[in-house]
Amino acid sequence: MNFEAVIGIEIHVEMKTKSKMFSSAPVEFGAEPNTLVNPVDMAFPGTMPVVNKQAVINAIRVANALHMKIDQELWFDRKNYFYADLPKGFQITQDKRPIGRDGYVMIKTNNGEKKIEIERLHMEEDTCKQLHLSTYSLLDYNRAGTPLIEIVSRPNIRNGEEAMKYVEQIKSIVQFSDVSDGKMEEGSLRCDVNISLRPIGSDKFGTKVEIKNLNSLSNVEKAIEFEITRQQQLLLSGVPVEQETRRFDETRKETVLMRKKTDAVDYKYFTEPNITPIKLSDEFVKNAIETCPELAASKKDRYMTILGLNEYDSDILIQDKDVSDYFDKAVKFNASPKLLANWIMVDIAAYLNKNNLKIKDLQLSPEHLSDLIKLIEEGKISSKQAKDVFAVIVENDASPIDVANELGLVQMSDEGAIFELILEVLKENPQSIEDYKNGKDRALGFLVGQVMKKSRGKANPAMTSKMILDELKKK
Amino acid sequence: MNYLDLTIKEMHEALVKKEITPLELAKEAIKRAKADTNNAFETILEDKAIEIASELTEPEENNLFWGIPFGIKDNFSTKNILTTGSSEILKDYIPVFNATVVEKLLNAHAVPIAKTCLDELAMGGTGTTGHKGITYNPYDPKHERLVGGSSCGSAAMVSAGIAPFALGSDTGDSVRKPASFAGLVGFKPTWGRISRFGLFPFAPSLDHVAYFTRSVEDAAFALSLLAGRDLHDATSSNKKVDDYISNINDTIKGKRIAILKEVIDSIRDEKVLTIFNNTVEKLKENGAIVENVSFDLKLLEACYPTYMVISCAEATSNNANLDGIKFGPRYGGDTYQEVMCNARTKGFCELIRRRFIIGSFSLMRENQEDLFLRAQKARRLIVNRTNEILNNYDFIYIPAAPNIAPKFTDSSDKLSTNYLIADNILVLGNFAGLPSITLPIGLIENMPIGGNLMGRKFEEKELFKIAKNIEDGTGLYNLSSRKLVK
Repeated sequence: MNFEAVIGIEIHVEMKTKSKMFSSAPVEFGAEPNTLVNPVDMAFPGTMPVVNKQAVINAIRVANALHMKIDQELWFDRKNYFYADLPKGFQITQDKRPIGRDGYVMIKTNNGEKKIEIERLHMEEDTCKQLHLSTYSLLDYNRAGTPLIEIVSRPNIRNGEEAMKYVEQIKSIVQFSDVSDGKMEEGSLRCDVNISLRPIGSDKFGTKVEIKNLNSLSNVEKAIEFEITRQQQLLLSGVPVEQETRRFDETRKETVLMRKKTDAVDYKYFTEPNITPIKLSDEFVKNAIETCPELAASKKDRYMTILGLNEYDSDILIQDKDVSDYFDKAVKFNASPKLLANWIMVDIAAYLNKNNLKIKDLQLSPEHLSDLIKLIEEGKISSKQAKDVFAVIVENDASPIDVANELGLVQMSDEGAIFELILEVLKENPQSIEDYKNGKDRALGFLVGQVMKKSRGKANPAMTSKMILDELKKK
Repeated sequence: MNYLDLTIKEMHEALVKKEITPLELAKEAIKRAKADTNNAFETILEDKAIEIASELTEPEENNLFWGIPFGIKDNFSTKNILTTGSSEILKDYIPVFNATVVEKLLNAHAVPIAKTCLDELAMGGTGTTGHKGITYNPYDPKHERLVGGSSCGSAAMVSAGIAPFALGSDTGDSVRKPASFAGLVGFKPTWGRISRFGLFPFAPSLDHVAYFTRSVEDAAFALSLLAGRDLHDATSSNKKVDDYISNINDTIKGKRIAILKEVIDSIRDEKVLTIFNNTVEKLKENGAIVENVSFDLKLLEACYPTYMVISCAEATSNNANLDGIKFGPRYGGDTYQEVMCNARTKGFCELIRRRFIIGSFSLMRENQEDLFLRAQKARRLIVNRTNEILNNYDFIYIPAAPNIAPKFTDSSDKLSTNYLIADNILVLGNFAGLPSITLPIGLIENMPIGGNLMGRKFEEKELFKIAKNIEDGTGLYNLSSRKLVK
C-alpha cells in the first residue's frame, strides 16, 4: 500500500520590537535573567495590558506578505491554563479573530512550484523561560510577554522538502520585513510539525503526531522524512500510530517520544475584557504595508530586471537579508552591480567563512568595497592588484585608493607625466626611432618597456603605447 | 463642631482660611480610625498620613483635595503599602506601584488615612467575607446589621465620619448598595471614565472605580480629579473631562425620568416606597417629567444569573495569578500542580472558591455555549433594553435597595430561590457601563435608605445635577452615623 503524508506546520515567531506585546518592558535576547521585567509581565494584581502598536504593524506586514485577509478590528482572547511559566495564569492571544486569515505562500521544490495554504496568523505573548534542574526549576521572566506571531499552515504539505522550503519562506519573510531575527537555533523562530499518514486516494486523516524541538531547516526535513518512514513501517506491520508528541534527536537523527497525548486541554477561551476591540483604519493598514522593508522576492526581481544580475546571483544574494542589505548599500555607490555581486559572493564570502564571521561583523564598509571596484573599472588597478588592496581594507576599512597608493599599485594615467617619460626615453634611444622608421615594429615594444621601467611599472601600458606611437609618427 | 465632620468642599474652605491644618485633620482622622469598632480597616496609615500632612503648609485654593483625609479600599495597589484584597492569599503582598487613582489623589496632596476592608477580593455584597471578618454598619451600635459590600470598610469609614472621601470599587453594586445602607453618596462613572489601572480585577468588563462621599457636590469634585485617559489602561476613554460643577444647581425642568415598574412592584417595605415616592413628588414639583416604565420582567430576572456567570468567569481567570508561585504563600506540594492546588484551596475563603468553580464551569468547552455565551447574550439584551429606555428618558430612578441594611441573620451570598429584583437591579449600570449614583433619601428607624439614579454614558454632569436636586429636596446632606447614633 502506498501512503501520503499530511503535514501541517505551526510557526511561532518572536518579534524584535523595542518593547513587549502588552507592556513597556524592553525586548532583548541574552540579557541577565529577570532584568527586562515590569509589573505587567509579572502579572502584579491590577496591571493591565496595552497593545504594542509596532507588533500590530509587524503582524500586518507578515500577513500581507502571506497574501492574507487582514481583520481590521483587533480582538484578543484569554487562553486559560495553570502552568509554572505563565505569569497571569492565562495567555493573551487571538483565538476567535486572528489578524490574518486564508493566505498562501509559493515554494519552489525539485518538483516545481507549489502553493502552500495558510489558515491563520495571530498575535500573542510569549511565556517565561524555564530551566529545569534536578530538584528545582528556574524561571526567567525576560521572555514573558515578548510579542509573538503564530502562523498556522493548512495540512497541504506532503514531504520533508516542502516543509523545509515552507519554513524557509516564512523565515525569509519575517527576516526581510524586519519583524524578527528568525533564528531557529536561538528560538526566535520555532516550529511544530503535525504529521499523519493516509493511503493515497483517501480523504480521511490518519492519527497525527506532533514533532517539536526542530532547531534548523535541515532538521525539519530530516525529522519529517524519518517520521514518514516510521509511521509507514508501523502501518504496514498493522500497528496503529499513536497520538503523541515527539522531538527530534539530533545525534540519533530520529524522532523520539516526549509524551502521549491525552485529551486536549480545555483552555476556556474568552474575550480579553481589558482590551476593547481596536479598529484599524484603512490608512493605518495601508501605511504598515507600504513602509514594510523590501522582501526577498521583490529584491530578486529588482536585481534581475533593474540591476541586470542573473537569477543564480540574485538567489544567492537574497538567501541572507544581511548580505542583500550589504549589497544594496554598496550598489548605491555606483560600482558595477555584477562585479559587486561577484566580490560579495566570492571574496567576502571566503573571508567571512575563513574567519567564521557574519557579514554584520565585517569591517569593510559597502562604500569602500564599491570604491575598490570602481578603481578596477576605471583601470587604475588590475583585478589582481585589487585582491591585494582587498586583503588590507577588509581588515581595517581603509580607503582603497590610499591603500593602492601605499602599495604602489596605482597605474600612472596622467598624460603629462607619461609624456615626460616618453620624451626622455626617445631622447636616450635615437636608434630605436630609426629602427621603427625602418619598419621594425619591435622597436615600439622596446620603447614602451623603457617607459614602464622608468615609471616603475605604474604607467598605463595602453596609454603609453598609444602616446609613443603618436610621437614616432611626428618624427 | 469638628472640622473632620465637614464635607470635602467645606473642609477645603476651612483649610484655605487656615482655620484648620491638614496635620490636625489627619491626626483627628487617625484617632477616630484607631477608635473604630466596625472593623473598617485593614491597615491604618498613621506614619504615612502624618508624614504627608506635615509637609502641607501652603493651602492650594484651586485644589479641592489639598489636605483632605481619605480612605482606600484595600484592593487598590499602593506602593510600599500592604495591599491584601482582604484575602488570606495576599496577606503579605506589598505592591511596587500605585493605582492611577491613588497616584492622582496623592499628587493632589490628599492625605491617605487607611486601607479599608472589603469582601474578599471584592467578591460579595455583605461585608462579611474579608479575612479580617465582618464589617459592621456604623448606624447600628448593636452590630447586628451589615453595612453592605464589597466596599464595606470604605462605607463604614466615611459613614462614621473618619474621612469625607473613600475609594471603592463597583462590579455589581459594591459601592452603590453599601451607600444606601450607610447613608452615603456612592458614585460610579461611565465604564472607561476613570482608569482602573492598579485596581485588583474582579470582572474587568463590569469593574468600575467608584467612591463614597457625603454630598453630591463632593462626588462631582472627586470625578473632576479622577476622570481621564490613562495610558496604562487601554479601556480608559479619550473623551474630554467635563466641568461637573458649574451647572450642578441648574434647573431640572423638563428632564425625563423613568421609574422601573417591576422594581417598585418587587419592594415589600412600604416605608421605603413612601420615602421614594416623596422624592418623586419633589422631582415633579421641580419640573421633571416622571413616568413608570416597564423594563421586562424576564430580563430583570435574568440579571443575577447573568451577573454571576460573567463575573465569576472573568474572576476565575483574573485571579489565576494567585497560585502560590508568583503570588501567595507557599502551602507546600511536590509538584507545581500541588503547590498551586494547595495555595488556591487554602488561600481563599469558601465563597471565593465557589465563585471560581462557577466561573470555570461556565467557561468549559462543553458548557460555554449554554452558560457563558448565553450570559453574554442576556447581557446584551439587558443593555439594549436599558439604552432603549435611556433614549426616551434622561435618567432611570429607583430605590437603591428594597430595604434598610439587613441583619446578618437575614443575609447570605449564596444563591437562593428567594430572588428579589430590587436587590439585584443596580447591576444594570455595570452591564451597560452607565454612570450611576446612590444618595440618601430617608431614614427608617434611624437607618438610612438610598435612591439610585442612572444616566446616559458620559453624561455624569447631568446625573450630578439631578442628584443634587434630590439632595436639596430631602435635605439629607453630609449624613454621618456620628451625628445620629448616640
